[in-house]
Amino acid sequence: MTPQRMTWQKTLPIVALGFFGLVWMVPLFWTLAAAFVPTTELLNGGPLVWLQNLHFGAFEQAWSVAPFARFYLNTIIWVFGLLAIQLVTISLAGFALARLDFRGKDQIFFLFLTQLMVPATVLILPNYQTLVALGWLDSYQGMMAPYIASAFGTFLMRQAFKQVPRELEEAARSDGANWLQVLWHVFLPVTRAPLLAFSIVSVTYHWNEFLWPLLITSSVEVRPLTVGLALLVQSSEIGAQWDQLSAGTLIVAVPILILIALVQKQFTNSFLSSGIK
Amino acid sequence: MPNRLHTQNGGGESNSSSARSLALPAVLQSGGAVAYLFLLPSLVFLAVFTLWPIVSVLWGSLHARRGRSQIFVGMDNFDRIFSDPFSQQVILNTVGYVTLSLLMSVFGGLMLAILMNQGLKNIGYFRFPFLATIAMPMVSVASIWLFMYSPRVGLLNDILGGLGIPRSNWLSDPDLALPGLFVVYLWKQLGYFALFYLAALQSLPDDVLEAATLDGVTFWQKLRHIIWPLVSPTTYFVSTIGVLNSLQQVDHVFVLTQGGPNNATGLALYYVYEQGFKWFKTGIASAMTVVLLAVLLTMAILQFVYLERRVHYE
Repeated sequence: MTPQRMTWQKTLPIVALGFFGLVWMVPLFWTLAAAFVPTTELLNGGPLVWLQNLHFGAFEQAWSVAPFARFYLNTIIWVFGLLAIQLVTISLAGFALARLDFRGKDQIFFLFLTQLMVPATVLILPNYQTLVALGWLDSYQGMMAPYIASAFGTFLMRQAFKQVPRELEEAARSDGANWLQVLWHVFLPVTRAPLLAFSIVSVTYHWNEFLWPLLITSSVEVRPLTVGLALLVQSSEIGAQWDQLSAGTLIVAVPILILIALVQKQFTNSFLSSGIK
Repeated sequence: MPNRLHTQNGGGESNSSSARSLALPAVLQSGGAVAYLFLLPSLVFLAVFTLWPIVSVLWGSLHARRGRSQIFVGMDNFDRIFSDPFSQQVILNTVGYVTLSLLMSVFGGLMLAILMNQGLKNIGYFRFPFLATIAMPMVSVASIWLFMYSPRVGLLNDILGGLGIPRSNWLSDPDLALPGLFVVYLWKQLGYFALFYLAALQSLPDDVLEAATLDGVTFWQKLRHIIWPLVSPTTYFVSTIGVLNSLQQVDHVFVLTQGGPNNATGLALYYVYEQGFKWFKTGIASAMTVVLLAVLLTMAILQFVYLERRVHYE
Protein backbone atom coordinates (compact mmCIF):
# COMPACT_ATOMS: atom_id res chain seq x y z
CA MET A 1 0.00 0.00 0.00
CA THR A 2 1.51 3.29 -1.09
CA PRO A 3 1.29 6.36 1.13
CA GLN A 4 -0.72 8.07 -1.60
CA ARG A 5 -3.40 5.44 -1.44
CA MET A 6 -3.51 5.88 2.32
CA THR A 7 -4.33 9.57 2.00
CA TRP A 8 -6.90 8.90 -0.66
CA GLN A 9 -8.58 6.41 1.63
CA LYS A 10 -8.56 8.88 4.47
CA THR A 11 -9.80 11.91 2.54
CA LEU A 12 -12.60 10.35 0.55
CA PRO A 13 -14.88 9.57 3.54
CA ILE A 14 -14.33 13.05 4.93
CA VAL A 15 -15.19 14.68 1.61
CA ALA A 16 -18.22 12.42 1.34
CA LEU A 17 -19.34 13.30 4.86
CA GLY A 18 -18.85 17.01 4.19
CA PHE A 19 -20.81 16.85 0.96
CA PHE A 20 -23.55 14.81 2.57
CA GLY A 21 -23.72 17.27 5.45
CA LEU A 22 -24.10 20.20 3.06
CA VAL A 23 -26.87 18.43 1.16
CA TRP A 24 -28.53 17.71 4.51
CA MET A 25 -28.52 21.43 5.30
CA VAL A 26 -30.13 22.50 1.99
CA PRO A 27 -33.71 22.59 3.34
CA LEU A 28 -32.52 24.73 6.26
CA PHE A 29 -30.65 27.14 3.97
CA TRP A 30 -33.66 27.38 1.68
CA THR A 31 -35.91 28.19 4.64
CA LEU A 32 -33.42 30.77 5.82
CA ALA A 33 -33.37 32.41 2.40
CA ALA A 34 -37.15 32.30 2.15
CA ALA A 35 -37.56 34.06 5.50
CA PHE A 36 -35.39 37.02 4.53
CA VAL A 37 -36.22 37.37 0.84
CA PRO A 38 -39.65 38.23 -0.60
CA THR A 39 -41.11 35.18 -2.34
CA THR A 40 -41.10 36.71 -5.84
CA GLU A 41 -37.37 37.52 -5.64
CA LEU A 42 -36.69 34.11 -4.18
CA LEU A 43 -38.13 32.46 -7.28
CA ASN A 44 -36.77 34.77 -9.94
CA GLY A 45 -33.39 35.92 -8.71
CA GLY A 46 -30.19 34.23 -7.68
CA PRO A 47 -28.28 34.75 -4.40
CA LEU A 48 -27.09 38.18 -5.59
CA VAL A 49 -30.63 39.45 -6.07
CA TRP A 50 -31.53 37.94 -2.70
CA LEU A 51 -28.79 39.83 -0.90
CA GLN A 52 -30.04 43.11 -2.39
CA ASN A 53 -33.60 42.42 -1.22
CA LEU A 54 -33.05 41.25 2.36
CA HIS A 55 -35.89 42.23 4.66
CA PHE A 56 -37.21 41.42 8.10
CA GLY A 57 -40.84 42.03 7.26
CA ALA A 58 -41.74 38.35 7.38
CA PHE A 59 -40.63 38.10 11.00
CA GLU A 60 -42.67 41.13 12.02
CA GLN A 61 -45.61 39.68 10.14
CA ALA A 62 -45.28 36.21 11.69
CA TRP A 63 -44.82 37.77 15.12
CA SER A 64 -48.01 39.81 14.69
CA VAL A 65 -50.13 37.03 13.17
CA ALA A 66 -49.35 34.64 16.01
CA PRO A 67 -48.53 35.72 19.59
CA PHE A 68 -45.12 34.03 19.59
CA ALA A 69 -43.93 35.83 22.71
CA ARG A 70 -46.80 34.31 24.66
CA PHE A 71 -46.22 30.89 23.06
CA TYR A 72 -42.56 31.07 24.08
CA LEU A 73 -43.53 31.87 27.63
CA ASN A 74 -46.04 28.99 27.68
CA THR A 75 -43.48 26.53 26.36
CA ILE A 76 -40.90 27.66 28.92
CA ILE A 77 -43.41 27.35 31.77
CA TRP A 78 -44.63 23.90 30.86
CA VAL A 79 -41.28 22.42 29.83
CA PHE A 80 -39.21 23.74 32.74
CA GLY A 81 -42.04 23.42 35.24
CA LEU A 82 -42.33 19.77 34.27
CA LEU A 83 -38.57 19.30 34.50
CA ALA A 84 -38.49 20.74 38.02
CA ILE A 85 -41.21 18.31 39.14
CA GLN A 86 -39.58 15.37 37.36
CA LEU A 87 -36.22 16.00 38.99
CA VAL A 88 -37.92 15.60 42.36
CA THR A 89 -39.97 12.51 41.45
CA ILE A 90 -37.14 10.64 39.71
CA SER A 91 -34.61 11.38 42.46
CA LEU A 92 -36.95 10.16 45.20
CA ALA A 93 -38.11 7.07 43.31
CA GLY A 94 -34.66 6.25 41.94
CA PHE A 95 -33.22 6.48 45.44
CA ALA A 96 -35.86 4.22 46.94
CA LEU A 97 -35.30 1.60 44.24
CA ALA A 98 -31.51 1.79 44.48
CA ARG A 99 -30.85 2.09 48.19
CA LEU A 100 -33.84 1.17 50.34
CA ASP A 101 -35.23 -2.22 51.27
CA PHE A 102 -38.97 -2.69 51.27
CA ARG A 103 -41.62 -5.25 50.40
CA GLY A 104 -42.99 -5.34 46.87
CA LYS A 105 -39.86 -3.86 45.31
CA ASP A 106 -39.96 -6.21 42.30
CA GLN A 107 -43.61 -5.47 41.63
CA ILE A 108 -43.05 -1.72 41.82
CA PHE A 109 -40.04 -2.06 39.55
CA PHE A 110 -42.27 -3.82 37.04
CA LEU A 111 -44.84 -0.99 37.20
CA PHE A 112 -42.16 1.46 36.11
CA LEU A 113 -41.11 -0.94 33.38
CA THR A 114 -44.66 -0.80 31.96
CA GLN A 115 -44.21 2.88 31.25
CA LEU A 116 -41.07 2.19 29.23
CA MET A 117 -43.03 -0.25 27.07
CA VAL A 118 -46.09 1.96 26.63
CA PRO A 119 -45.19 5.52 25.60
CA ALA A 120 -47.67 8.21 26.58
CA THR A 121 -48.16 9.21 22.92
CA VAL A 122 -50.13 6.02 22.34
CA LEU A 123 -52.43 6.69 25.29
CA ILE A 124 -53.76 10.09 24.15
CA LEU A 125 -57.39 8.98 24.10
CA PRO A 126 -57.76 7.56 27.64
CA ASN A 127 -55.48 10.25 29.08
CA TYR A 128 -57.63 12.92 27.49
CA GLN A 129 -60.68 11.37 29.15
CA THR A 130 -58.85 11.41 32.48
CA LEU A 131 -58.05 15.11 32.07
CA VAL A 132 -61.72 15.81 31.35
CA ALA A 133 -62.66 14.01 34.56
CA LEU A 134 -60.06 15.95 36.55
CA GLY A 135 -61.03 19.26 34.93
CA TRP A 136 -57.43 19.73 33.78
CA LEU A 137 -58.08 20.49 30.11
CA ASP A 138 -56.37 23.61 28.77
CA SER A 139 -53.94 23.83 31.68
CA TYR A 140 -50.21 23.50 32.30
CA GLN A 141 -50.71 20.71 34.81
CA GLY A 142 -52.78 18.85 32.21
CA MET A 143 -49.91 18.99 29.73
CA MET A 144 -47.44 17.84 32.38
CA ALA A 145 -49.49 15.11 34.06
CA PRO A 146 -48.65 12.07 31.88
CA TYR A 147 -44.92 12.79 32.23
CA ILE A 148 -44.60 13.56 35.93
CA ALA A 149 -43.68 9.95 36.69
CA SER A 150 -40.76 9.12 34.43
CA ALA A 151 -39.59 5.52 34.24
CA PHE A 152 -36.63 6.53 32.09
CA GLY A 153 -35.50 9.14 34.62
CA THR A 154 -36.16 6.87 37.59
CA PHE A 155 -34.06 4.06 36.11
CA LEU A 156 -31.32 6.48 35.12
CA MET A 157 -31.11 7.80 38.69
CA ARG A 158 -31.39 4.32 40.17
CA GLN A 159 -28.32 3.27 38.14
CA ALA A 160 -26.42 6.38 39.21
CA PHE A 161 -27.31 6.04 42.91
CA LYS A 162 -26.25 2.40 42.93
CA GLN A 163 -22.72 3.45 42.11
CA VAL A 164 -22.38 5.78 45.10
CA PRO A 165 -20.11 4.08 47.69
CA ARG A 166 -21.86 2.63 50.74
CA GLU A 167 -19.37 4.29 53.09
CA LEU A 168 -20.55 7.78 52.16
CA GLU A 169 -24.13 6.86 52.94
CA GLU A 170 -23.27 5.09 56.18
CA ALA A 171 -21.17 7.97 57.37
CA ALA A 172 -24.04 10.38 56.91
CA ARG A 173 -26.56 7.97 58.41
CA SER A 174 -24.56 7.39 61.55
CA ASP A 175 -24.12 11.14 61.72
CA GLY A 176 -27.86 11.21 62.36
CA ALA A 177 -29.02 12.28 58.94
CA ASN A 178 -32.39 10.98 57.77
CA TRP A 179 -32.88 9.53 54.28
CA LEU A 180 -34.01 12.78 52.73
CA GLN A 181 -30.90 14.49 54.05
CA VAL A 182 -28.72 11.65 52.82
CA LEU A 183 -30.27 11.96 49.37
CA TRP A 184 -29.88 15.73 49.32
CA HIS A 185 -26.43 16.12 50.87
CA VAL A 186 -24.69 12.91 49.79
CA PHE A 187 -26.28 11.46 46.66
CA LEU A 188 -27.48 14.39 44.55
CA PRO A 189 -24.18 16.32 44.62
CA VAL A 190 -22.32 13.37 43.07
CA THR A 191 -24.98 12.53 40.45
CA ARG A 192 -25.14 15.84 38.61
CA ALA A 193 -24.12 14.26 35.31
CA PRO A 194 -27.13 11.92 35.00
CA LEU A 195 -29.43 14.69 36.25
CA LEU A 196 -28.10 16.93 33.47
CA ALA A 197 -28.43 14.16 30.89
CA PHE A 198 -32.04 13.60 31.92
CA SER A 199 -32.72 17.35 31.80
CA ILE A 200 -31.42 17.70 28.24
CA VAL A 201 -33.53 14.78 27.03
CA SER A 202 -36.64 15.93 28.86
CA VAL A 203 -36.39 19.55 27.72
CA THR A 204 -35.74 18.69 24.06
CA TYR A 205 -38.50 16.10 23.99
CA HIS A 206 -41.20 18.26 25.53
CA TRP A 207 -40.10 21.51 23.87
CA ASN A 208 -40.79 19.73 20.57
CA GLU A 209 -43.97 17.98 21.63
CA PHE A 210 -47.05 18.69 19.54
CA LEU A 211 -49.93 16.20 19.54
CA TRP A 212 -50.71 16.10 23.26
CA PRO A 213 -50.63 19.90 23.76
CA LEU A 214 -52.66 20.33 20.56
CA LEU A 215 -55.38 18.03 21.86
CA ILE A 216 -55.73 19.40 25.35
CA THR A 217 -55.11 23.13 24.96
CA SER A 218 -57.46 25.67 23.43
CA SER A 219 -56.39 29.09 24.68
CA VAL A 220 -53.50 31.36 23.75
CA GLU A 221 -52.52 31.55 27.44
CA VAL A 222 -51.56 27.87 27.55
CA ARG A 223 -50.71 26.78 24.01
CA PRO A 224 -47.03 26.06 23.40
CA LEU A 225 -44.85 27.15 20.48
CA THR A 226 -45.26 24.00 18.41
CA VAL A 227 -49.04 24.32 18.37
CA GLY A 228 -48.77 28.02 17.60
CA LEU A 229 -46.46 27.30 14.68
CA ALA A 230 -48.76 24.62 13.27
CA LEU A 231 -51.65 27.12 13.31
CA LEU A 232 -49.49 29.76 11.62
CA VAL A 233 -48.42 27.23 8.99
CA GLN A 234 -52.04 26.46 8.21
CA SER A 235 -52.94 30.10 7.72
CA SER A 236 -49.82 30.95 5.70
CA GLU A 237 -50.22 27.91 3.49
CA ILE A 238 -53.68 29.05 2.47
CA GLY A 239 -52.35 32.47 1.51
CA ALA A 240 -49.13 30.99 0.10
CA GLN A 241 -47.18 33.36 2.37
CA TRP A 242 -43.99 31.37 2.29
CA ASP A 243 -41.82 34.07 3.79
CA GLN A 244 -44.11 34.23 6.81
CA LEU A 245 -44.17 30.45 7.15
CA SER A 246 -40.37 30.30 6.97
CA ALA A 247 -39.96 33.08 9.49
CA GLY A 248 -42.30 31.30 11.91
CA THR A 249 -40.39 28.07 11.46
CA LEU A 250 -37.10 29.79 12.25
CA ILE A 251 -38.53 31.59 15.28
CA VAL A 252 -39.30 28.17 16.76
CA ALA A 253 -36.23 26.24 15.58
CA VAL A 254 -33.32 28.66 15.90
CA PRO A 255 -33.02 28.73 19.72
CA ILE A 256 -32.73 24.93 19.69
CA LEU A 257 -30.16 25.00 16.91
CA ILE A 258 -28.04 27.47 18.88
CA LEU A 259 -28.36 25.34 22.00
CA ILE A 260 -27.21 22.24 20.12
CA ALA A 261 -24.25 24.06 18.62
CA LEU A 262 -23.20 25.10 22.13
CA VAL A 263 -23.61 21.79 23.95
CA GLN A 264 -23.16 19.33 21.12
CA LYS A 265 -21.15 16.87 23.17
CA GLN A 266 -23.47 16.72 26.19
CA PHE A 267 -26.41 16.55 23.86
CA THR A 268 -24.97 13.55 22.04
CA ASN A 269 -24.19 11.73 25.27
CA SER A 270 -27.60 12.44 26.77
CA PHE A 271 -29.37 11.11 23.74
CA LEU A 272 -27.27 7.97 23.82
CA SER A 273 -28.26 7.44 27.44
CA SER A 274 -31.91 7.96 26.50
CA GLY A 275 -31.63 4.84 24.39
CA ILE A 276 -30.16 2.74 27.16
CA LYS A 277 -33.27 1.70 28.96
CA MET B 1 -14.16 7.84 59.58
CA PRO B 2 -17.50 6.02 59.95
CA ASN B 3 -16.34 4.73 63.33
CA ARG B 4 -15.65 8.16 64.67
CA LEU B 5 -19.08 9.34 63.65
CA HIS B 6 -20.63 6.28 65.25
CA THR B 7 -19.21 6.94 68.67
CA GLN B 8 -20.05 10.59 68.45
CA ASN B 9 -23.73 10.10 67.73
CA GLY B 10 -24.33 6.77 69.44
CA GLY B 11 -27.97 7.12 70.54
CA GLY B 12 -28.94 10.61 69.50
CA GLU B 13 -30.14 9.95 65.97
CA SER B 14 -33.56 11.50 66.16
CA ASN B 15 -32.35 14.46 68.22
CA SER B 16 -29.66 15.55 65.84
CA SER B 17 -31.82 15.05 62.79
CA SER B 18 -34.68 17.13 64.09
CA ALA B 19 -32.27 20.01 64.33
CA ARG B 20 -31.68 19.93 60.57
CA SER B 21 -33.64 21.66 57.89
CA LEU B 22 -34.87 18.51 56.13
CA ALA B 23 -36.27 16.71 59.17
CA LEU B 24 -38.58 13.72 58.86
CA PRO B 25 -40.78 12.26 61.63
CA ALA B 26 -38.98 9.58 63.64
CA VAL B 27 -41.32 6.89 62.25
CA LEU B 28 -39.86 7.47 58.81
CA GLN B 29 -36.30 6.83 59.90
CA SER B 30 -36.60 3.16 58.94
CA GLY B 31 -36.11 2.23 55.29
CA GLY B 32 -39.47 0.66 54.46
CA ALA B 33 -41.84 3.52 55.23
CA VAL B 34 -39.48 6.04 53.67
CA ALA B 35 -39.30 3.99 50.48
CA TYR B 36 -43.06 4.06 50.03
CA LEU B 37 -43.15 7.76 50.77
CA PHE B 38 -40.40 8.44 48.21
CA LEU B 39 -42.17 6.33 45.60
CA LEU B 40 -45.62 7.74 46.25
CA PRO B 41 -45.56 10.73 43.83
CA SER B 42 -44.32 8.58 40.95
CA LEU B 43 -46.68 5.72 41.74
CA VAL B 44 -49.74 7.98 41.84
CA PHE B 45 -48.99 9.39 38.39
CA LEU B 46 -47.99 5.99 37.01
CA ALA B 47 -51.29 4.57 38.20
CA VAL B 48 -53.43 7.38 36.80
CA PHE B 49 -51.60 8.07 33.51
CA THR B 50 -50.05 4.73 32.55
CA LEU B 51 -51.92 1.86 34.21
CA TRP B 52 -55.45 3.22 34.30
CA PRO B 53 -55.38 4.25 30.61
CA ILE B 54 -54.40 0.71 29.62
CA VAL B 55 -57.36 -0.70 31.54
CA SER B 56 -59.66 2.01 30.26
CA VAL B 57 -58.69 1.51 26.63
CA LEU B 58 -59.14 -2.26 26.91
CA TRP B 59 -62.63 -1.68 28.28
CA GLY B 60 -63.35 0.98 25.66
CA SER B 61 -62.32 -1.29 22.80
CA LEU B 62 -65.09 -3.72 23.76
CA HIS B 63 -67.78 -1.03 23.90
CA ALA B 64 -69.47 1.35 21.49
CA ARG B 65 -71.25 4.62 22.10
CA ARG B 66 -74.99 4.56 21.61
CA GLY B 67 -76.37 7.98 22.37
CA ARG B 68 -75.06 8.77 25.80
CA SER B 69 -74.30 5.28 27.03
CA GLN B 70 -71.66 2.71 26.23
CA ILE B 71 -72.86 -0.71 25.08
CA PHE B 72 -70.84 -3.90 25.22
CA VAL B 73 -70.15 -5.03 21.65
CA GLY B 74 -67.54 -7.75 22.15
CA MET B 75 -64.95 -7.87 19.38
CA ASP B 76 -67.02 -5.79 16.92
CA ASN B 77 -64.64 -2.86 16.98
CA PHE B 78 -61.71 -5.10 16.12
CA ASP B 79 -63.72 -6.77 13.35
CA ARG B 80 -64.45 -3.33 11.94
CA ILE B 81 -60.80 -2.30 12.04
CA PHE B 82 -59.61 -5.37 10.20
CA SER B 83 -62.45 -5.56 7.66
CA ASP B 84 -63.14 -1.92 6.80
CA PRO B 85 -61.14 -0.89 3.67
CA PHE B 86 -60.29 2.51 5.17
CA SER B 87 -58.68 1.11 8.31
CA GLN B 88 -57.11 -1.74 6.36
CA GLN B 89 -55.42 0.95 4.29
CA VAL B 90 -54.26 2.63 7.51
CA ILE B 91 -52.76 -0.63 8.77
CA LEU B 92 -51.01 -1.21 5.44
CA ASN B 93 -49.67 2.36 5.41
CA THR B 94 -48.37 1.91 8.94
CA VAL B 95 -46.71 -1.43 8.21
CA GLY B 96 -45.04 0.05 5.13
CA TYR B 97 -43.92 3.14 7.00
CA VAL B 98 -42.54 1.16 9.92
CA THR B 99 -40.73 -1.29 7.62
CA LEU B 100 -39.11 1.53 5.67
CA SER B 101 -38.13 3.17 8.90
CA LEU B 102 -36.62 -0.07 10.22
CA LEU B 103 -34.45 -0.41 7.11
CA MET B 104 -33.49 3.24 7.23
CA SER B 105 -32.56 3.19 10.89
CA VAL B 106 -30.35 0.13 10.51
CA PHE B 107 -28.69 0.55 7.09
CA GLY B 108 -28.81 4.32 6.81
CA GLY B 109 -27.79 4.73 10.45
CA LEU B 110 -24.85 2.36 10.10
CA MET B 111 -23.59 3.90 6.87
CA LEU B 112 -23.79 7.42 8.27
CA ALA B 113 -22.04 6.29 11.45
CA ILE B 114 -19.19 4.73 9.43
CA LEU B 115 -18.81 8.03 7.58
CA MET B 116 -18.91 9.95 10.86
CA ASN B 117 -16.35 7.67 12.48
CA GLN B 118 -13.29 9.52 11.20
CA GLY B 119 -10.58 10.28 13.71
CA LEU B 120 -10.72 13.93 12.72
CA LYS B 121 -10.18 16.71 15.23
CA ASN B 122 -12.96 19.01 14.07
CA ILE B 123 -15.39 16.22 13.24
CA GLY B 124 -18.01 18.07 15.30
CA TYR B 125 -18.65 20.49 12.45
CA PHE B 126 -19.33 17.58 10.14
CA ARG B 127 -21.76 15.98 12.56
CA PHE B 128 -23.70 19.14 13.32
CA PRO B 129 -26.16 18.94 10.38
CA PHE B 130 -27.34 15.52 11.49
CA LEU B 131 -27.60 16.45 15.16
CA ALA B 132 -29.40 19.71 14.44
CA THR B 133 -32.34 18.01 12.76
CA ILE B 134 -32.78 15.57 15.67
CA ALA B 135 -33.21 18.42 18.10
CA MET B 136 -35.67 20.45 16.03
CA PRO B 137 -39.41 20.03 16.63
CA MET B 138 -41.10 17.79 14.08
CA VAL B 139 -43.56 20.62 13.46
CA SER B 140 -40.73 22.91 12.29
CA VAL B 141 -39.19 20.14 10.23
CA ALA B 142 -42.54 19.43 8.61
CA SER B 143 -43.15 23.08 7.76
CA ILE B 144 -39.68 23.29 6.21
CA TRP B 145 -40.62 20.34 4.01
CA LEU B 146 -44.05 21.72 3.25
CA PHE B 147 -42.10 24.51 1.65
CA MET B 148 -39.59 22.15 -0.02
CA TYR B 149 -42.41 20.08 -1.51
CA SER B 150 -44.53 23.00 -2.63
CA PRO B 151 -45.16 22.65 -6.38
CA ARG B 152 -44.62 26.35 -7.08
CA VAL B 153 -41.81 27.55 -4.81
CA GLY B 154 -40.46 24.22 -3.60
CA LEU B 155 -36.80 23.54 -4.17
CA LEU B 156 -37.22 19.80 -4.52
CA ASN B 157 -38.80 19.90 -7.95
CA ASP B 158 -36.06 22.23 -9.18
CA ILE B 159 -33.33 19.91 -7.93
CA LEU B 160 -34.99 16.78 -9.32
CA GLY B 161 -35.72 18.65 -12.56
CA GLY B 162 -32.03 19.36 -12.85
CA LEU B 163 -31.39 15.63 -12.55
CA GLY B 164 -33.93 14.92 -15.29
CA ILE B 165 -36.67 13.62 -12.99
CA PRO B 166 -40.14 14.96 -13.87
CA ARG B 167 -41.78 17.49 -11.55
CA SER B 168 -44.53 16.20 -9.32
CA ASN B 169 -46.92 17.49 -6.76
CA TRP B 170 -45.47 15.39 -3.97
CA LEU B 171 -48.00 15.68 -1.21
CA SER B 172 -51.11 15.52 -3.44
CA ASP B 173 -50.03 12.42 -5.31
CA PRO B 174 -51.39 9.28 -3.56
CA ASP B 175 -48.33 7.30 -4.66
CA LEU B 176 -45.78 9.86 -3.51
CA ALA B 177 -47.37 11.28 -0.36
CA LEU B 178 -46.37 8.49 2.05
CA PRO B 179 -42.78 8.25 0.72
CA GLY B 180 -42.79 12.04 0.97
CA LEU B 181 -43.67 11.86 4.67
CA PHE B 182 -41.02 9.22 5.11
CA VAL B 183 -38.34 11.48 3.63
CA VAL B 184 -39.25 14.11 6.21
CA TYR B 185 -38.86 11.56 9.00
CA LEU B 186 -35.59 10.30 7.49
CA TRP B 187 -34.17 13.80 7.31
CA LYS B 188 -35.01 14.42 10.94
CA GLN B 189 -34.08 11.08 12.52
CA LEU B 190 -31.23 9.51 10.55
CA GLY B 191 -28.63 11.18 12.76
CA TYR B 192 -30.33 9.80 15.88
CA PHE B 193 -29.85 6.21 14.77
CA ALA B 194 -26.33 6.93 13.51
CA LEU B 195 -25.40 8.11 17.02
CA PHE B 196 -25.94 4.64 18.47
CA TYR B 197 -23.89 2.98 15.75
CA LEU B 198 -21.21 5.63 16.15
CA ALA B 199 -20.95 4.83 19.86
CA ALA B 200 -20.73 1.12 19.02
CA LEU B 201 -18.03 1.66 16.38
CA GLN B 202 -16.00 3.80 18.75
CA SER B 203 -16.10 1.14 21.42
CA LEU B 204 -14.56 -1.44 19.04
CA PRO B 205 -10.84 -1.99 19.56
CA ASP B 206 -8.80 -0.07 16.95
CA ASP B 207 -6.73 -3.05 15.82
CA VAL B 208 -9.82 -4.99 14.74
CA LEU B 209 -10.73 -2.39 12.14
CA GLU B 210 -7.13 -1.68 11.21
CA ALA B 211 -6.19 -5.31 10.68
CA ALA B 212 -9.02 -5.51 8.19
CA THR B 213 -7.68 -2.67 6.05
CA LEU B 214 -4.32 -4.36 5.58
CA ASP B 215 -4.83 -7.33 3.31
CA GLY B 216 -6.55 -5.61 0.44
CA VAL B 217 -9.98 -6.37 1.84
CA THR B 218 -12.69 -4.37 0.08
CA PHE B 219 -14.97 -2.05 2.02
CA TRP B 220 -17.96 -4.33 1.48
CA GLN B 221 -16.13 -7.39 2.74
CA LYS B 222 -15.05 -5.50 5.81
CA LEU B 223 -18.59 -4.26 6.38
CA ARG B 224 -20.17 -7.64 5.85
CA HIS B 225 -17.74 -9.86 7.76
CA ILE B 226 -16.25 -7.64 10.43
CA ILE B 227 -18.32 -4.57 11.24
CA TRP B 228 -21.80 -6.06 10.82
CA PRO B 229 -21.30 -9.01 13.23
CA LEU B 230 -19.53 -6.81 15.77
CA VAL B 231 -22.30 -4.22 15.95
CA SER B 232 -25.14 -6.76 15.98
CA PRO B 233 -26.29 -5.91 19.54
CA THR B 234 -26.61 -2.28 18.42
CA THR B 235 -28.49 -3.37 15.33
CA TYR B 236 -30.97 -5.18 17.50
CA PHE B 237 -31.36 -2.18 19.73
CA VAL B 238 -31.60 0.34 16.88
CA SER B 239 -34.25 -1.70 15.07
CA THR B 240 -36.33 -1.84 18.25
CA ILE B 241 -36.25 1.90 18.84
CA GLY B 242 -36.63 2.43 15.08
CA VAL B 243 -39.97 0.65 15.17
CA LEU B 244 -41.10 2.30 18.40
CA ASN B 245 -40.11 5.70 17.08
CA SER B 246 -41.84 5.42 13.73
CA LEU B 247 -45.07 4.09 15.26
CA GLN B 248 -45.35 7.32 17.26
CA GLN B 249 -44.75 9.72 14.37
CA VAL B 250 -47.81 11.77 13.67
CA ASP B 251 -46.90 15.46 13.82
CA HIS B 252 -45.84 15.62 10.17
CA VAL B 253 -49.14 14.07 9.11
CA PHE B 254 -50.93 16.96 10.81
CA VAL B 255 -48.83 19.64 9.17
CA LEU B 256 -48.35 18.13 5.72
CA THR B 257 -51.26 15.92 4.65
CA GLN B 258 -53.91 15.33 7.35
CA GLY B 259 -53.99 11.71 6.24
CA GLY B 260 -54.71 12.54 2.59
CA PRO B 261 -54.78 12.38 -0.34
CA ASN B 262 -57.33 9.60 -0.32
CA ASN B 263 -56.10 8.19 3.00
CA ALA B 264 -52.66 7.57 1.45
CA THR B 265 -50.90 8.91 4.54
CA GLY B 266 -53.29 7.72 7.23
CA LEU B 267 -51.08 6.19 9.94
CA ALA B 268 -52.34 4.24 12.95
CA LEU B 269 -51.86 6.97 15.53
CA TYR B 270 -53.42 9.59 13.25
CA TYR B 271 -56.35 7.22 12.81
CA VAL B 272 -56.74 7.05 16.60
CA TYR B 273 -56.87 10.85 16.64
CA GLU B 274 -59.39 11.09 13.80
CA GLN B 275 -61.73 8.42 15.12
CA GLY B 276 -61.47 9.48 18.75
CA PHE B 277 -61.29 13.25 18.56
CA LYS B 278 -62.93 14.15 15.26
CA TRP B 279 -65.69 11.57 14.88
CA PHE B 280 -65.97 10.64 18.59
CA LYS B 281 -65.92 6.93 17.80
CA THR B 282 -64.13 6.10 21.01
CA GLY B 283 -64.69 2.37 20.62
CA ILE B 284 -62.91 2.21 17.27
CA ALA B 285 -60.15 4.54 18.48
CA SER B 286 -59.69 2.40 21.60
CA ALA B 287 -59.50 -0.76 19.53
CA MET B 288 -56.77 0.70 17.34
CA THR B 289 -54.93 1.82 20.49
CA VAL B 290 -55.14 -1.76 21.79
CA VAL B 291 -53.66 -3.02 18.51
CA LEU B 292 -50.79 -0.55 18.94
CA LEU B 293 -50.32 -1.67 22.55
CA ALA B 294 -50.19 -5.29 21.42
CA VAL B 295 -47.43 -4.45 18.94
CA LEU B 296 -45.48 -2.54 21.59
CA LEU B 297 -45.87 -5.40 24.08
CA THR B 298 -44.63 -7.91 21.52
CA MET B 299 -41.60 -5.74 20.86
CA ALA B 300 -40.88 -5.53 24.59
CA ILE B 301 -41.13 -9.32 24.97
CA LEU B 302 -38.85 -9.90 21.98
CA GLN B 303 -36.32 -7.50 23.46
CA PHE B 304 -36.54 -9.24 26.82
CA VAL B 305 -36.05 -12.69 25.24
CA TYR B 306 -33.10 -11.41 23.25
CA LEU B 307 -31.43 -9.93 26.31
CA GLU B 308 -32.00 -13.16 28.28
CA ARG B 309 -30.39 -15.16 25.50
CA ARG B 310 -27.41 -12.87 25.30
CA VAL B 311 -26.84 -13.08 29.01
CA HIS B 312 -27.13 -16.85 28.70
CA TYR B 313 -24.52 -17.23 26.01
CA GLU B 314 -21.97 -14.76 27.29
